[in-house]
Amino acid sequence: MAVNKLFFRKTIIAGTGLFLCLFLIVHLSANWILLLPEETARELYNSYATTLRENLFIKSISYILYAFIVLHVIYALLITIHNRKAKPQKYVVNHFLQNSTWTSQNMGLIGTMILLFIVVHLANFWVRVKLGMGEIIELDAIGNLDVYEVTFSLFHNIYYVIFYTILMIPLGLHLNHGLKSAFKTLGFYHKKGLRISAKVSLIYAVIISIGFGVIPFFVYLK
Amino acid sequence: MKLDSKIPEGRLEDKWRNYQIKAQLINPANKKKLNVIVVGSGLSGAGAAATLAELGYDVQCFCYQDSARRAHSVAAQGGINAAKNYQHDGDSVWRMFYDTLKGGDFRSREANTYRLAELSAPLIDHFVQQGVPFAREYGGVLVNRSFGGVQVQRTFYARGQTGQQLLLAAYSQLYKMIRAKKVKMFPRSEMIDLVVIDGKAKGIIVRDLVTGELKRYVADAIVLATGGYSRVFRLSTLAIGCNGSAIWKAHKRGAFFAAPSFTQIHPTALPQTSEAQSKLTLMSESLRNDGRIWVPKKKEDIRKANDIPEKERDYYLERRYPSFGNLAPRDIASRAAKERIDAGYGVGRLKNAVYLDFRHAIDKLGIQTIKDRYENLFGMYKKITGIDAYKEPMQISPAAHFSMGGLWVDYELMTTIPGLYAVGECNFSDHGANRLGANSLLQASIDGYFILPNTINNYLAGALEEDIPTTDHIEFEKAEKEVRVIIDRVLNINGTKTVDHFHRELGKVMWQECAMSRNKKGLEKAILQIKTLKDEFWSDVKVTGSGNELNTELEKALRLADFMEMGILMCTDALEREESCGAHFREEFQTEDGEAVRVDENYSYVSAWEYDEGDFKLHKEELEFEFVQPSVRSYK
Amino acid sequence: MKVTFKIWRQENRNTKGAIKEYKVDGLTEDMSFLEALDHLNELLVLKNEKVIAYEYDCREGICGQCGVFINGRAHGPHDNITTCQLHMRSFKDGDTIVVEPWRAASFPVLKDLIVDRSAFDRIMEQGGYITAKTGTAPEANAILIPKEVSDSAMDVAACIGCGACVATCKNASAALFASAKINHLNNLPQGHPEAHKRVQEMTYQMELEGFGSCSFTGACEVECPEGISITNIAEMYAKYTKAKLFG
Repeated sequence: MAVNKLFFRKTIIAGTGLFLCLFLIVHLSANWILLLPEETARELYNSYATTLRENLFIKSISYILYAFIVLHVIYALLITIHNRKAKPQKYVVNHFLQNSTWTSQNMGLIGTMILLFIVVHLANFWVRVKLGMGEIIELDAIGNLDVYEVTFSLFHNIYYVIFYTILMIPLGLHLNHGLKSAFKTLGFYHKKGLRISAKVSLIYAVIISIGFGVIPFFVYLK
Repeated sequence: MKLDSKIPEGRLEDKWRNYQIKAQLINPANKKKLNVIVVGSGLSGAGAAATLAELGYDVQCFCYQDSARRAHSVAAQGGINAAKNYQHDGDSVWRMFYDTLKGGDFRSREANTYRLAELSAPLIDHFVQQGVPFAREYGGVLVNRSFGGVQVQRTFYARGQTGQQLLLAAYSQLYKMIRAKKVKMFPRSEMIDLVVIDGKAKGIIVRDLVTGELKRYVADAIVLATGGYSRVFRLSTLAIGCNGSAIWKAHKRGAFFAAPSFTQIHPTALPQTSEAQSKLTLMSESLRNDGRIWVPKKKEDIRKANDIPEKERDYYLERRYPSFGNLAPRDIASRAAKERIDAGYGVGRLKNAVYLDFRHAIDKLGIQTIKDRYENLFGMYKKITGIDAYKEPMQISPAAHFSMGGLWVDYELMTTIPGLYAVGECNFSDHGANRLGANSLLQASIDGYFILPNTINNYLAGALEEDIPTTDHIEFEKAEKEVRVIIDRVLNINGTKTVDHFHRELGKVMWQECAMSRNKKGLEKAILQIKTLKDEFWSDVKVTGSGNELNTELEKALRLADFMEMGILMCTDALEREESCGAHFREEFQTEDGEAVRVDENYSYVSAWEYDEGDFKLHKEELEFEFVQPSVRSYK
Repeated sequence: MKVTFKIWRQENRNTKGAIKEYKVDGLTEDMSFLEALDHLNELLVLKNEKVIAYEYDCREGICGQCGVFINGRAHGPHDNITTCQLHMRSFKDGDTIVVEPWRAASFPVLKDLIVDRSAFDRIMEQGGYITAKTGTAPEANAILIPKEVSDSAMDVAACIGCGACVATCKNASAALFASAKINHLNNLPQGHPEAHKRVQEMTYQMELEGFGSCSFTGACEVECPEGISITNIAEMYAKYTKAKLFG
């Protein structure tokens, strides 16, 4: 029997989503280097960035990461198109907030905001560091590319600080609903377990979004 | 015409076996050539359709709802009886048979009633196999509870949704056979007339409720499984769409109508609160297992129920019927409630209710046990009334519920029209003058699953040699034309009153004169009143919209037109039966303390009415009690 | 009590519909919502207008036939009830009540507030049963079923098939409905032999009918008259995966 399209797409979204959640933990823990005093932070951060670029294992993981982001987005789009078709006519009055959260009803919109963030974020860092486009990046004292300086100067622009911080709100919302739903989509149905997973998702989302969200401010104030 | 009930020979225990041994068989290759129409998709209809299809017949099944799963069997709450004797409390087929016969006040056939009890045990096996999640003990075995009119525990249940679970099982089997292309399902299709050709039932006229189109269907045999007709009272525990039209049309085409006045008033429904009310919600009789019924000892007592001390409460069922107490049969419990309410002891805003109190049970068994047993009923009560019955007593009141009467059928469930069968509530077969709780699901299921599929061969074997008429046959033409005339007539009256108005008026007359207690004068008056109402309906009703569209108002009007005629027959039957038996209580026939007086020497028969051009002719099927001596039905 | 109804009127499935306004007086708080509509229909008849078509049957919350979207909620403003269990005491005098039919591509409107839910029947047709002919059953107590198993089967078997889950779901997903039936039958020992086949076939039919996918908004379990939990959907996913891997 053919694989159920509805289930298959959801499974891809959940699977890739979980992977992205793991990635965020790694990403955040490294970024907290930025909270250290400048003298230690610059060196540490730059050598960490160099490792990321040059380690073969991490490099291959990063390709999976790109692929998963693309898959996550494409399948979300496919599902959204299908779902729109399944509900072509909307209600004149719909008080959905009385039976569900705003987040759960707007994952697509929130996801689009995050996608926008990712594009800007990649343009700010990835394009410059990896593709070498834009302004030339200097080397630091040890000879690593001074990615710290890139971050430092970016977050001394108040507009970027606000952009980076504000967009951590949709990220948090997306993670909270996405993470706990991913468990369900992947077939985890133990009732007590699901209650725990909901709490874990909330804690995770709060830590990630606030964790990332405070960095621009700290750097700005440095 | 002599009514032949076709009771098989032999001892009571052997009759069904003897019947099966002698019944004709049809070989599988021939079954494929035969087709059967089943009207109704409830427990009996879906059960019959699925089983007939499994046997190899081609089946066409019709229902007026949007899906077979809506049929009103779905609403039965409390349970289904079976003589399994799992509780080791002395139950047996014989005892169940006797309870049912006595519960019906000795107005049903011994052989039919015995067969009902006999087939009850395999029926539970059948439903368990189909995935019905009956209540179970921790050890995994089935649980039972008791019901009214019985001193053993033989009722199987699935929370308070037993009917729903059984119906869904039957519905799922029906769809299994639809998938196998042996059943063709026609939802949103209402049978409007029966087509009889050369004295045999051969087809039906159906109105497609979406397009309004009239359609003709032909078959070798027709099975009516259209349920009860208590909506004649308008306010009842039945679904709003429940109607008597199919059996009434069959009656007008020659099927005898048996014991039409035997209608059961259920003691535990929610009281009426306003004129606009469309429905009285039933609270399962199973509640009487743990609930105690009472009214204040003082008239017009305005205190809150919980403020009335124990010694100022009248537990009237326990007082009047010490051995059965709160589990007295339905007719008796209803009448006792009516007696208290009429005497001025009623409670509630309109003083039309009695209390059903769980405080003692909660104190004794703990709130969790009560929740396990009745949670959804208490939930339902709260949804409707806003009252938490764990904290204060429920208010309940009698309501029209079940019709024991229906099309007269013989032991094979065939009506007086050859080829026309009636199964489930729409026939008169097993319950006599009063049905015991949890016997309704039982009878519907057994008729559909076990009996009809075994008896219909006897007729169909003969049908094999006959030519099947086409739907162009003159009788189809005639029937469809008559239907069209009636529909046009209703639509063109363009009067000043709504269908609901007439239904309310009919309901009032019927509830007043032909419900829990009846008398000669009242019944004679009621017949005249209904006749007047009927004339008024046909000259002053207003139905908007057309016949060629989805028109719910037209549907209601057509059903009501039949109810009015049926009401006249019900009153006629009640008037003719000068005795009190079961649910039929004639005020002229009671003892000094208000108990029913049955008159066996004159009325030990089933009345079977023949339609005769607007009039009704009585035929009697004498009831012979070979194995049981009818006794005074006492629950004291 | 006086209210203003704003009700979706549509001649048939091929015509366009629109909201129409009706001011209704003479209602009482004890009336059920459907009785208020009955009352409105009587007034319409007397004004020589066509009645509003809406569905109902048992009016006690079990048949599943009634169901409309009332003031932005499936079955009205309360959680876990049917339309017939909604009473006018839930509204205030002078309220405006917007009434719309269930909205889903798989539930086309037939007339006014009536939709065609036969897609549910077709899902059931694809294995929402246990293949056991009449007469083939073993003794009822021969197969023991632990109380917890029987109880949890009953929790989901309670589904009344009203379609509120689809109606309230932003994706018109029928996942709650399908999972209820699948979990009911697959968890009982009698349903085991066909379990893998059942979950695949029923969910495949669900896809064919054009229902959307589940986003776990949880709206369905709030509107479900029987309060069937969305964890059932997760359980269905698990059963599906198991069926694909081992079936």
